Amino acid sequence: MSRGNPLFEVELERFRYSGDGDDTLAGIGLSLEAGSLTVIVGDSGSGKSTLGAVLCGMLPRHDGEELEAVFEIQGQTIRHGTGKSVRIDPVGWARHVGMLPQDARHYLSGVRETVAEELAVGLENAGVPRAQMHARITALAHRLGLGELLDRDPETLSGGQERLVALAALTLDGAPVLILDEPLAGLDAAASARVAALLQQLRAEGTALVLLTRAVDGSVDGADHMLRLRAGRCESVPGEQISIPRNEVSAPDRRHSPGTAALLEFSAAELGYPGSAASAVTGLDLLVHAGECVGLAGPNGSGKSTVLKTAAGLLNLRAGVLRQGTKRGAGVGLLLQNPADQLFERTVHREVAFGLPRSTAVKIPEVLESLGLAGTGETHPYELPAAARRLVALATVLIRRPALLLLDEPTEALDAGGLEVLRAVIGKVLDRGGAVLIASHDEGFLIGVAGRIHRMQPVAQAAR
Amino acid sequence: MHQLPRTGRLHPFTVLVLAAAVVAITTAAGRWWLHTAVLAGCLLLAARAKRAGKLVRLGAVILVPAWGSHLLIHGLIDTGGGHVLAAAGPLRITTEGLVTAGQLGLRTGVLVVAGLLCSMLIDRHDLVAAVDLSSAPPQAGYLLAATLSLLPRLAQRQRAIGQAQALRGIPLAAGPRGWWRSVRLRSVPLVLSSVQDAADRSAYLAARGFPAKGAHTRLREVPDSPAQCWVRRVALGAMVLGPVALLAPTWVGQG
Amino acid sequence: MSQSLLLPENHTGPLLRRRFLAVAAVLLLAGTYTVLVLTHPAGLTDGLGQTVALATFAAYLAAALMLLAAVLPDLPVATLSLIPVALALNIVLGQFVGSVFIPLYLDSLGTVLVGFLAGRRAGAATGVLGTLIWSLFNPTVLPFAAGAALVGFLAGTAARFGALRRPYLAPIAGLGAGVLVGVASAPVATFVFGGTSGVGTGAVVAAFRSMGDSLLSAVTKQALISDPGDKAIVFLLAALLIYALPARLNGGFAFVRRHRVLGSRGSR
Repeated sequence: MSRGNPLFEVELERFRYSGDGDDTLAGIGLSLEAGSLTVIVGDSGSGKSTLGAVLCGMLPRHDGEELEAVFEIQGQTIRHGTGKSVRIDPVGWARHVGMLPQDARHYLSGVRETVAEELAVGLENAGVPRAQMHARITALAHRLGLGELLDRDPETLSGGQERLVALAALTLDGAPVLILDEPLAGLDAAASARVAALLQQLRAEGTALVLLTRAVDGSVDGADHMLRLRAGRCESVPGEQISIPRNEVSAPDRRHSPGTAALLEFSAAELGYPGSAASAVTGLDLLVHAGECVGLAGPNGSGKSTVLKTAAGLLNLRAGVLRQGTKRGAGVGLLLQNPADQLFERTVHREVAFGLPRSTAVKIPEVLESLGLAGTGETHPYELPAAARRLVALATVLIRRPALLLLDEPTEALDAGGLEVLRAVIGKVLDRGGAVLIASHDEGFLIGVAGRIHRMQPVAQAAR
Repeated sequence: MHQLPRTGRLHPFTVLVLAAAVVAITTAAGRWWLHTAVLAGCLLLAARAKRAGKLVRLGAVILVPAWGSHLLIHGLIDTGGGHVLAAAGPLRITTEGLVTAGQLGLRTGVLVVAGLLCSMLIDRHDLVAAVDLSSAPPQAGYLLAATLSLLPRLAQRQRAIGQAQALRGIPLAAGPRGWWRSVRLRSVPLVLSSVQDAADRSAYLAARGFPAKGAHTRLREVPDSPAQCWVRRVALGAMVLGPVALLAPTWVGQG
Repeated sequence: MSQSLLLPENHTGPLLRRRFLAVAAVLLLAGTYTVLVLTHPAGLTDGLGQTVALATFAAYLAAALMLLAAVLPDLPVATLSLIPVALALNIVLGQFVGSVFIPLYLDSLGTVLVGFLAGRRAGAATGVLGTLIWSLFNPTVLPFAAGAALVGFLAGTAARFGALRRPYLAPIAGLGAGVLVGVASAPVATFVFGGTSGVGTGAVVAAFRSMGDSLLSAVTKQALISDPGDKAIVFLLAALLIYALPARLNGGFAFVRRHRVLGSRGSR
């Protein structure tokens, strides 16, 4: 690895969103050499994604957003300051600094029929001749082992494949500096190994990588610089003092012994969606007692969400028996996988209060407090970080004090603090004699909170 | 290679220009037998592509109300015609009125059926690529492609939101207030999430060079041939000159 | 590969040509409309009627396409990525609302939304594009592209002059827009299709005709009954949706900031 002049240097004085009282970022300096790996660790809401957007020239978008910073890039000095607007050319900047967003789908145009065409979007806009595009895409796909994906419809890719395709597209566009926001989050072991291998390869070829991450995982091995971001302020962590908590697995909480009252019972149940002939789940036997936390594990497509939706009364049983200790639909609360589907009010408080009788609404501050959301009551849910947004959706469920709490992939986007809050919430529901059923691919979390884990198989396999 | 040659398929513009020429000439000629022949031809083509049922169904959804409207306006209340078939109060059914309604109905019918047939025969990705490779502004192709791919996605999100709201156990009131509430519950999360998603995507779209400032290319090859190119030119000429040739005599007569 | 990192200070393109296109489109529309209203061709299915039908169709469609070509190259990417969402919303929400509440069509919600957030040119472009794409599913809407452009244009104009600063101003602006749109679209319905596309609206036209109105004035009167109410509700709904968006998202649109579209609501 050659260590010459830095490819990209930043002295960031401060950044503030329009209308905010505080600076979101302040006092951050970075210097990136070819082939280097810089890791920036920070909790949800620490300003990681904002920092990424500033580095890749997507912020500030307009005069209302204040940035004071000096960039040294490709021998040019670019100075942002108050009262002095600098208009970044997004295409020119992206040629030097590329960004992989946390949600990799955002990098993809989403309008092409095949993965090969999706990869070509950037080259097409640059006017690269067709034969040359073919050659470059084929070569890259060969290098990354993406050959079998090229003819696929991008809509049908799994999360890990989407991330790989987005990274491949980013690589084709060929920027010497890449900013990657949580490149391994939510990937299973095989997919994260492929992404990590690709990153190593890019480094070896001289690309400078900046990794934004909330948990220290396999992708940070061999980092040249490690920085910790706290409330938008940066501190350097010397190599030998790296003591950032890994996502540790704590012993399950055995305080609660399951009672005898069954709150939910499926026996020989067959579940499916209206309008689809095939059943999503067959032969399901599942019993959840009061005071018990049960995990639902299984690969994608094994019908975990279907079980939760049926238990919540959203889907009807096709065959078999469903018994509930609570009244059907009432006393059951479900946190959906995508919290955005549930949120529609313009402040957190109004969101949680919606449709509640006045006597319940007075408990809102208490519920928000217990979720670590105190002080966000008047914020728009969409202006909160992804983790907090999920907790707001959880608040709308908890305020109704469900006897049976159903959680669909609740750990997605949660940082260490968020996970702690979630564990506490589960404990409280169990304490008051309720039950919790969690569907998750996060085995570590399930082992930590669930008394037992029910494993599910995809229907096609189970039938054989 | 992953892009197979697709010989025997038509360039989307060939289909569109042919349809436009047929509609223009048929409308200009205004002969019932020509309209009927074109309608039959369209159905035949649809049957060859195994889409006749769909064409009839979609066409009927649009045409039945339109024909009803024509019948009401011209067939039942005609103020001009001399051959009165029946008259009662404001109703006045005349032969001329019914003929007018029939001719207008056929005119609309040809437009609808030919247009629907076009959208059934054209591959939408080919259409997008053709627009991208044409001299239209580079924004047009993306907007077309993005809308067509968003439609099923938003419809699916709409259903997911309906489920999420049902979960919150919010009682639905009847009457206008209940209607208003359900519209708000359904539309606000949909608009919020989709507008936010659009905003998130736009920065990356710009980073990938959209909209192209200079010449741009497409990886996808649109099926085309010199013969088709020639057919397009002829059809374009026929679309303009056909109606002029058919209608010019009537202008002289009127003038 | 040396690529400029900054945008040039003042953005100059072939502005003159686009201005010319836009002006020509408006003149073509106004000219066609004036000729139709003044000459008031009587026949619908004779040679003259066919000429008028084709000419009206061609003129309105050509004007809409010219408007689109004039406006598209100027739109920022943030607006361009919003437009497909708006077009899909037109259709998806239009279907949902239509299935619940019968007498309204509410198929221009997304167009109005873009007009409010991104200004009148973006609104007009959305209207035209929406019609072009919708015509893939229903070809009869094609000649109404110019009317849809007018809806978006008027929504942007209303937002610019403060129609969103108070919730009650939006429906009032919608009423006004509905009157203009109804009057402008009536000749298409009359001379291209010889009436309306629905039985309900057809009955209203038939009633006016039986009272002795000409077809054009009957269709215009029908449009004046349906359109203002529809547009008032659409404008109100779009305004409420925009109030529900986070300030940071609204503030991302230059149009919203420059013209203080949301007044004190958008001060954040």
